Amino acid sequence: MIVEIGAFALVLSLVLSVLQTVASALARIRRAPVLAAVGEAAAISAFAALAVSFAALVYAFVVSDFSVANVTANSHSAKPMLYKVGGAWGSHEGSMLLWCLALTGFGALLAGYGRGLSAGLKSVAVATQGALGIAFLAYTVFASNPFWRLTDPPVEGRSLNPLLQDPALILHPPFLYVGYVGLSVVFSLAIAALVEGRADAAWARWVRPWTLAAWSALTIGITLGAFWAYYELGWGGWWFWDPVENASFMPWLIATALLHSAVVTERRGALPGWTIFLALGGFTFSMLGAFLVRSGVLTSVHAFAVDPTRGVLLLTILGVTAGLGFALFAWRAPAMARGGLFAPISRESALVLNNILLAAATATVLLGTLYPLIREAIAGEAISVGPPYFNLTFTPLMFILLLLLPAGPLLAWKRADAGAALQRLWVAALLAAVAAVATLALVEPRSLFGAAGLALGVWLIIGSLTEVAERIRLFRVPGAEALRRLGGLPRGAWGMTLAHAGLGVFVLGAVFETTWKAETAEVLALGQRLEVAGYVLVLEDVAPVQGPNYEAEQATLRALAPDGTLACMAQPERRQYSAGGQTTSEVAICTRGLSHLYVVLGERRQAADGGPVWLVTGYWNPWALLIFLGPGLMALGGAISLSDRRLRLVAGRRAAPVAPAPAAAPGPVGGQA
Amino acid sequence: MIVFWIAVGVISAAIAGLILHRAARAAASGETGDSTLPLYQRQLAEIEDLADRGLIAADERRSAHAEAARRLLSAADASGPAWTATMGGRRTLVALAAAAPVAALGLYLATGSPGYGDQPYAQRLDQWRAAPPTQLDAPRMAAVLRSVTQERPSDPEPLRFLAIAEMASGDAAAAARALRQALRLAPDRADLWESLGEALMVAAEGEVTPQAAAAFQRALEQDPQAATARFHLARGRIEAGEVAQGLAEWRSLLADLPMADPRRPVLQAAIADVSAGPRPTPSAAATVGAAEILAMVEGLAARLAVEPDDPEGWVRLVRSYGVLGDAARRDAALSQARARYADNPQILSQLTQAAAAEPMP
Repeated sequence: MIVEIGAFALVLSLVLSVLQTVASALARIRRAPVLAAVGEAAAISAFAALAVSFAALVYAFVVSDFSVANVTANSHSAKPMLYKVGGAWGSHEGSMLLWCLALTGFGALLAGYGRGLSAGLKSVAVATQGALGIAFLAYTVFASNPFWRLTDPPVEGRSLNPLLQDPALILHPPFLYVGYVGLSVVFSLAIAALVEGRADAAWARWVRPWTLAAWSALTIGITLGAFWAYYELGWGGWWFWDPVENASFMPWLIATALLHSAVVTERRGALPGWTIFLALGGFTFSMLGAFLVRSGVLTSVHAFAVDPTRGVLLLTILGVTAGLGFALFAWRAPAMARGGLFAPISRESALVLNNILLAAATATVLLGTLYPLIREAIAGEAISVGPPYFNLTFTPLMFILLLLLPAGPLLAWKRADAGAALQRLWVAALLAAVAAVATLALVEPRSLFGAAGLALGVWLIIGSLTEVAERIRLFRVPGAEALRRLGGLPRGAWGMTLAHAGLGVFVLGAVFETTWKAETAEVLALGQRLEVAGYVLVLEDVAPVQGPNYEAEQATLRALAPDGTLACMAQPERRQYSAGGQTTSEVAICTRGLSHLYVVLGERRQAADGGPVWLVTGYWNPWALLIFLGPGLMALGGAISLSDRRLRLVAGRRAAPVAPAPAAAPGPVGGQA
Repeated sequence: MIVFWIAVGVISAAIAGLILHRAARAAASGETGDSTLPLYQRQLAEIEDLADRGLIAADERRSAHAEAARRLLSAADASGPAWTATMGGRRTLVALAAAAPVAALGLYLATGSPGYGDQPYAQRLDQWRAAPPTQLDAPRMAAVLRSVTQERPSDPEPLRFLAIAEMASGDAAAAARALRQALRLAPDRADLWESLGEALMVAAEGEVTPQAAAAFQRALEQDPQAATARFHLARGRIEAGEVAQGLAEWRSLLADLPMADPRRPVLQAAIADVSAGPRPTPSAAATVGAAEILAMVEGLAARLAVEPDDPEGWVRLVRSYGVLGDAARRDAALSQARARYADNPQILSQLTQAAAAEPMP
């Protein structure tokens, strides 16, 4: 019965989304608060119903109910429990349900916590969110229902793609979807601003926390995906400019630009049109990603079963939604108030430049992603646009952006003194130069790109810290005073510093890893060794291992550090999955400081003397840890910013030393200080 | 079914209750004003706060303050009339709150599978275990035996039966896995090594691979008379070109087999077939035992029952039944496949050809 309860709850969620849209839109037209309340309650209920539905699907996977077609296609009774649960969103249908869960979840949050918004803005936003819900829920119910049943259930399921049977499956998709779909709220708020003709500071302040939440989740999701691709052999390393990676990267770039432009709109009331444009663009790119993955136009581990009909339907949703949004923009945006003025050299201008560069970077990624598809559709020939294209287009844009980044936060609003700002960065410049020279002198083989990249990383990190030092007047006021000021810095400022410094940490890791990684592959018999970057790997043993739903050959390699001490025992595996018979390679990673020794076991072969030998590959990935630590810091910065009481829209203003009022406090604020 | 209706009722009531509760609260609190003004007031207060803590300079404070104050004023001007319109009576609202679950139920009855209970794997397994084994097809038999092997992890016998069931359901690789597991428990049983060799051979489409040959060798180490192992090892030799030696081994095997052994005619036919002349690839019928063929055909039939959209599979199945001389099942499969591909003349003609296949002597 539980499965059918889930099927009913899914349909109920769709109906409630219709009620949400109609009631909220009517509320706006008739200025009726009771109708608005009905719309909000419907939004919250739609989420509750979908949560029931999602739980029912997870239940079906947990008990291996093969009368559910989706479970049959993606599960197996012998699969470990973790992947039975993860399998619920490992397929097209299940992940659409997760998408809808996030969509209605954000709708419920908007409805439940939107008290600071004006009634008109809020009801239009809730109505828009409901309309998005209708589109995606209808698609799920009618075109890819995860609760479709089989009258004659097979004995066993076909199991989940073994490549997806990985702990990362539990976290990567949910974070990514929260990020993707979090941008839907921003989209709805943009539509509301266009309908109301109002994109003022209050609106921008409302856009920021949603963008920040979505951006942080997206950052974590993309980083987890990059880490997964890094340790999963054959996925091209942590970033490959794969179309699906790009599909998640474009909304991230737009969300990053939006975070910055919303600051200008909030602080100065300027750039309202551009901020709305970005807010519409963010979710449009999210939907584009969903379409690319599900339409069958791409071949990738991310691509679900090829199904042109579903692709066309998704493309229709994308076209209609984005089309209506941007048409409304074209109609209403020109009438928007212009907002505050600013000089060419000012914080505002710096943020505009940031936005121009990020938008241009997004455009290059979009072109690189879609060009092969368009070319194939028109000319019928398959071409691939790979890393060389992105290195030539995206990297220079980012280099300029990152070079200018530390100066931005040091500029004053309205009118700034560029010379003074640059002067304050002399320490960062000096350290960056030292880093470049030291790299050229010390690291073999010599690389100008590597030295420039490391200098850029140091410049970003020290430059971001300089801004904090400036704000607390470090070395210009007594230490205790500086410390007091440090404690008084708003969390938003800490968030910004962490995010910018995290970007620097990422640059250090990415540049070091790509420039100085080493690789050795050799065919080894037991007892033989190979050497990579000074480390010696000795193949000590290869033994069969019986997993829950696979059999594996596990090698044990003794890794000796350059100084002869034991670095670690590496145990890479080759797994053969019983269901489906696929083979996967589980790499072994030894962390040495910030670097990774990465060991891969290849197929068993027969040596000339008849004994068994294995192809063993050892990689030395220097500073690889920073590639994932940097974005981690950025996401942490986002979370800290999000906790800033200035962004907590419903919380009362802090009354002297008392803790912030609980989020539910409805009262108007600012009366008491 | 009753659980389903209770759940539907509870969910519907909770949702209708929430909608009515919210609506009643909004009606009671009266008008909803523009709540953006407090936000500007807070922004003003924050500027003061930052300035007090010395985080922004005095002139910046002045200009920021002036600008925020201007925005506060313009927002106060811009906010439209307050929202006061009341909705029609309570009845309209109650109808609205009730309409959603009713509409959902209607849509569910159209799209869902009402009355179809859950089918958890454990529950189905219990049913199969309770059923008489003769009523189970091979895949279900394998599922039951798999659960038995888990209950008796140190007994090789259920594993051997599991291997037979896996072979019959067409999964030779799974059969080999079960046999390997059984051999870990009983490494000195020649019959298990022979079965493993056969499973590996079937998995390799009849070829005596080095792994299969190694398994047969192990069987001979345990029992030098192991007939199946000797038969296939010799067949491997013949296929590898050592025809004379292979035939000699077959003949000595024939001499060792008791007169009543049902395998004698198969072996005699194979010897006659190979002796008749150089045939680089002996026909499958002569090489793979009849049991293996049956197992493969059963596996194909089971697979087509699960995944019927495989025209080549149907053609193969019809031909196999024909070759085996099982006219009844051949005609059954033929009519099933004809119905499925009624609009595809190419497949239909292939099916007709396959049905005309001569039975094996």
